[in-house]
Amino acid sequence: MTERVGRFAQYYLLGQLIKRDVLLRYRGAMFGVAWVFINPLIMLCIYAYVFGHVFQARWPQQGNGAPFWLVLYSGLIAFNIFSDTISRAPTAVKNYPNFVKKIIFPVEILPLVPLGAALVHAMFNVLILLAALAWAGQLNLQVILYPLMLLPLVLIALGLSWFLAAWGVFIKDMSQIVPPFVQMLLFLSPVLYPAASVPESFRPLYRYNPLGAVIEACRSAALGQPINWTSWASALVLGLVASGLGLAFFKHSREEFADAL
Amino acid sequence: MPSDDVAISARNLNKTYRLFSHPGDRIKQFFTLGIKQYHRQFTALKDISFDIKKGDTVGIIGRNGSGKSTLLQLICGILKPTSGTVRTEGRISALLELGAGFNLEFTGRENVYFQGALMGFTQADMDGLIDDIAAFADIGEFLDQPVRTYSSGMFVRLAFAAMIHADADILVIDEALSVGDEAFQRKCFDKLQDYLEGHEKILLFVSHNVRQVERICSHAIWLENGRIVQQGAAGETCAAYQTKIHQQVHGMHESTKPLPTIADSGEVEVIRIQLFADNGEESVDEIEIHAALRIVVDFRCHSNLIEPDILIGFHTIDSVFIATASTAILPKPPDFPQGEHRVQVRIADLTLLPGVYQIRLGFLDRHLRPMWAGHKLSAFRVTAPAGSNLVRFPPGLIDMPFEWTFSSGTQ
Repeated sequence: MTERVGRFAQYYLLGQLIKRDVLLRYRGAMFGVAWVFINPLIMLCIYAYVFGHVFQARWPQQGNGAPFWLVLYSGLIAFNIFSDTISRAPTAVKNYPNFVKKIIFPVEILPLVPLGAALVHAMFNVLILLAALAWAGQLNLQVILYPLMLLPLVLIALGLSWFLAAWGVFIKDMSQIVPPFVQMLLFLSPVLYPAASVPESFRPLYRYNPLGAVIEACRSAALGQPINWTSWASALVLGLVASGLGLAFFKHSREEFADAL
Repeated sequence: MPSDDVAISARNLNKTYRLFSHPGDRIKQFFTLGIKQYHRQFTALKDISFDIKKGDTVGIIGRNGSGKSTLLQLICGILKPTSGTVRTEGRISALLELGAGFNLEFTGRENVYFQGALMGFTQADMDGLIDDIAAFADIGEFLDQPVRTYSSGMFVRLAFAAMIHADADILVIDEALSVGDEAFQRKCFDKLQDYLEGHEKILLFVSHNVRQVERICSHAIWLENGRIVQQGAAGETCAAYQTKIHQQVHGMHESTKPLPTIADSGEVEVIRIQLFADNGEESVDEIEIHAALRIVVDFRCHSNLIEPDILIGFHTIDSVFIATASTAILPKPPDFPQGEHRVQVRIADLTLLPGVYQIRLGFLDRHLRPMWAGHKLSAFRVTAPAGSNLVRFPPGLIDMPFEWTFSSGTQ
């Protein structure tokens, strides 16, 4: 059935689904799509206030004088792609029983929708980041590597999405389990602090944490610092493996979706 | 090997579901890798084989839970068979539920475009179709309103319009046409017939409504408990199915007291409803067309009934009312003092066409307040005259005494 819908048609369909997903969030809201900009700005203000003023957090390696909130923001964008995607993945298929049971539909593209929507939001975030960098006088050419730096993270999120979406169909608890884990990851990943300020004994955990590697790489790219290509590359390999396994698992479970929904 | 003009071919299809009594059991099953069984098996379809040729219209009939919808889902590729194969040729448009891909927050137009994307149409393709779809759905300015503001009728019209214009090779419809007003149903059937005519299209149609199947379909497949009971020409298969249903419906009512399924004020109690051939002594459940039929109702009233309206009528299994006898239109409606009574209504010439019919019965007081009302009561079958080789009567419910005249010229 999937082969009948051509590859191009599938991409078009995916594009439509993502568009619907993004638009749906703002449909009927007074400020409409302006929320795409307002939300990240509010979030940025909160983090800047709490960590910059209340906790007086210091960023040891901010050598070239980028303000704290800018450093934070450049990493947070990457983390948000991951957290947005993963929190919504368990319901990506579960919330569309009609697409599974009532229409002929390539179900494996459903888990791509939260990721796609998260990437759309990230794009606006990056625009804000660029504006902020320019405003703070920190704009440099290396920032064009930013999207490339995100690649391993996207692949990991993709693999996990397929996996979680499949399990979310069978196990209703998944949508409850995932958010606290995402919250935990926020504090365990070097988003609010650099990996360098972690005690020496925990350092390996951060070195091999693909999420951490990507976040650090993104930050380096945005702020014009040297990028750790080795950890990035290993994260990429992990991402490829994760997405491959995720898709395989999804396709394996797909046959029973209709029974479980 | 199936020949070239076969567009859907199913061979030994089986579909078994795994039923888990607790969601956790599924996880246990997953981790034990099949060493231990945490589930029960439920077989939805057993050994189904059939071929459908291009240009066929096929109805799938059967009771609830007989596997009709599962079979459609297998044909569409939404479900995978546990064993066996199903091969289809051409693009399938499935209408297992009208507007299944619609999102209530979006406008009709947006949803139609999205439905198109589901079918593999691009934006440009849909630009060319939208006017036809809008004209067929005929919902005016609502096309640009969110679907949640639609009446259920408008929703159905738009969904059907979007589907029928997709120009698929195989059209699969599950009960979808039982909704919408009569005018629109008529329009849908006309459109369906246009669509089928001349093209090498296939229509697969599931319905509880045997009459609809008889009317639209050339072939029928009768499923029961996941097996094919009979398949072949629609007329014969539907007739066999109706006979079976009649036996079951009748068996259900045989020994039980008629129940007031619609209204019951406690003033009247119906004891039994019996049908007799004109001068027969034994009650019957089969009667030949054009014979005389007597319907006898025994009831008990707990107070004096002054000029009640007693209604006795017929309806089809799908609740189409055909005719009703009423005491209220008599010159002098009778009164019934407290106690047991028997009323009889006789039909000298039963013009109902062969098929299965049911009785409805109502007791209303003088002010038309229902005291006892029920439908789907006794069932009976009208049979073709013995020895008649009429396999199929012309479509309809009643054999009207038509008179033809033929002459030359227009004078």
